[in-house]
Amino acid sequence: MDTLEKAVDRVLSGDSAAFQQIVDATSVRLVRLGARIMGNQADAEDVVQEAYVKAFRALKAGEFDRRSSTATWLYRIVVNGAIDAKRSRTRRAEQSDLQIDPSWDGAAFAEARLALSELDDWLAMLPTDQRAVLVLQSVEGLNNTEIARVMGVSEGAVEQRLVRARAALRQRRQLP
Amino acid sequence: MTDLEDIDQRLARLGRKTEALRPSAGFSARVMSAVTAEAAPSLLENAWFSSRRLVPVAAIAAALSVVWAVQVDRSVDDELATSYASVELE
Repeated sequence: MDTLEKAVDRVLSGDSAAFQQIVDATSVRLVRLGARIMGNQADAEDVVQEAYVKAFRALKAGEFDRRSSTATWLYRIVVNGAIDAKRSRTRRAEQSDLQIDPSWDGAAFAEARLALSELDDWLAMLPTDQRAVLVLQSVEGLNNTEIARVMGVSEGAVEQRLVRARAALRQRRQLP
Repeated sequence: MTDLEDIDQRLARLGRKTEALRPSAGFSARVMSAVTAEAAPSLLENAWFSSRRLVPVAAIAAALSVVWAVQVDRSVDDELATSYASVELE
């Protein structure tokens, strides 16, 4: 059993502080996923924080049945939260003074944020669910079965959204 | 997007470039603060959890009360029966 599953066991047995290990093990990947769907890191961090609180609440209430791995479960909460937030929220202005950890490569981080902005502009025309499916497949590298599991839809629905998303992007490319 | 760049190629390129994204400094601490606030029970929950400890004591007290009430009832019945019997004898 990996560290993540052991940390879940500890939270389930009443050790709330073990939730820190879950956050440490997953926050980079989840914030990156949220940012790619939201197109904005500040919004992504809000979504991921809410997702962690929901996950903690569910663990405490015994609602996590462990039919999927903890990582997939957290992915699902973040993707659903990001889709809901993107549909309902007014986009927050990206913080130019976002504090980064001094141990990280500042230049790579700045370049990543430029790429995020490019990704966001390019995918802005897509409905949120199509955008999420496209990001999960072509950026996150999940296969259709995994995407279906994360999004709680059939593989057919995933395929349909991918086809529509790609058609919309191709159509936009052909516009003058 | 260049003419030669396919949709998937462009997504893969942007995916690679965004790999360096990280949560901002202090993100983990903010999350744990929100989680800790969630974990702290409210006044009502505190009252509920405290009162739950008294449930076994209350159950035993209730059972003893029933036993006592039945015993008292029986002794009253016995005394009444005795008094009726003495009246008949008289």
